[in-house]
Amino acid sequence: MRQLVNALLKYKNALLYIGLLIISFLFLNQRSFYHQSIFSNASLVLSSNLNQAGKNISNYLNLASSNKKLIAENIKLKRLELILFSEQVEKNQATDNFPFQVLGARIIKNNYQSARNYLIIDQGYLDGVEKEMGVISSDGIIGIVNQITANFSSVISILHRDIKINASFKKNGAYGSLSWQGNHPKKMKLDDVSTINPILVGDTIVTGGMSDYFPYGIPIGKVSSFKRPKLEGYYDIDIELFSNLTQKEFVYVLKNKMKDQLNQLKYESR
Amino acid sequence: MNRDNILHIFQFFLLLFLQSFLLNNINLFGFINPNLYLLFIIIYRLDGNPTLLIIIGFVMGLLLDLLTQGSGGHTIATLTIAFLRLSIIKFSFGVNYDVPMGMIKGSLLRQRLLYFMLMVVIHHLVLYSIVYFSLDNTITILKNTLFTSFFTFIMVFISLGLFREKND
Repeated sequence: MRQLVNALLKYKNALLYIGLLIISFLFLNQRSFYHQSIFSNASLVLSSNLNQAGKNISNYLNLASSNKKLIAENIKLKRLELILFSEQVEKNQATDNFPFQVLGARIIKNNYQSARNYLIIDQGYLDGVEKEMGVISSDGIIGIVNQITANFSSVISILHRDIKINASFKKNGAYGSLSWQGNHPKKMKLDDVSTINPILVGDTIVTGGMSDYFPYGIPIGKVSSFKRPKLEGYYDIDIELFSNLTQKEFVYVLKNKMKDQLNQLKYESR
Repeated sequence: MNRDNILHIFQFFLLLFLQSFLLNNINLFGFINPNLYLLFIIIYRLDGNPTLLIIIGFVMGLLLDLLTQGSGGHTIATLTIAFLRLSIIKFSFGVNYDVPMGMIKGSLLRQRLLYFMLMVVIHHLVLYSIVYFSLDNTITILKNTLFTSFFTFIMVFISLGLFREKND
């Protein structure tokens, strides 16, 4: 014990220096967006590589069950494709006009315990991922790409208290903004829906298509309960998500080919 | 509270306000702002308590960053130079390092110049490395370090001349 105290006293200047240095880096991180982005990029590189190593092992052990899931999804997609063929639409024209391209990716770190959750996926800018792309799964939306490195990207989950997503009712197009309150990974809230629209428990909510992240019509969830406050003109709606974000493994990144045009319009009309 | 302590507190705030309200607005050739506040750490007694100096350096940098809306570069640079000061003193003064006011009298001019130069250049190098914080800007960091160090060095040297006449 005495030796420990002596050692601490001997190196007290160095220890004090390191302690204050850590405090000043925290201060730097708080005050400057530039430094904050560099620090978070560095931590993304570190954590994505560490998680990749761990995920490689568990992926191998889960091959059988993930194969089953993929086959199930393939069957579903095949059915949709067949329906599309049978409708005799000019298919090439339809896909050409559709502005979103799809990239597949695998989640290597999924976080849903904290109030502001992020995911890491194994596709980076070398694979064509860019910042602010939408990310969806087979049965719902996942989030928006936040930071990218060469081989990995971090995604702001929709389970993030500061993110708001444009969503609308499938039946009549009434729209509002979807946000997460931080309690349960399947429950979200839909705000800003005007009370002039009739709604019922069980109505389906889809993406609204008003942001450049997601196209119109991806199913998100259904109304589990709603209230109509007396003094306000907006409903207070609780949503239950279709997808379970705690069990996701494969996701699709959506690349909006028209984004430059949309941004240009927004810029010009400002 | 002896006379020295009161003098130190006075120096501390004088240099802090001089730096934040006057010297940081000089912008000579567009980017040169001499950092005279470093004088406080330079003329701190050579046999003074180094632990106290680290804390003072941290507080000084923090206050300066808060006053000038800086991002935190001054905090880290001043803290680092306060920590490295003991090694710099030993390196530059050699056997004379226990003369209390060695940076003003009682040592060779060569030793004093080496001490000032090391203190100023290391401080500026850390400061601009933190402010730019990217390898792509190495040239800018070195350019800023070189020119600003030069002007700070001149100001420190002139100010010490004033001190000496008063003390003699």
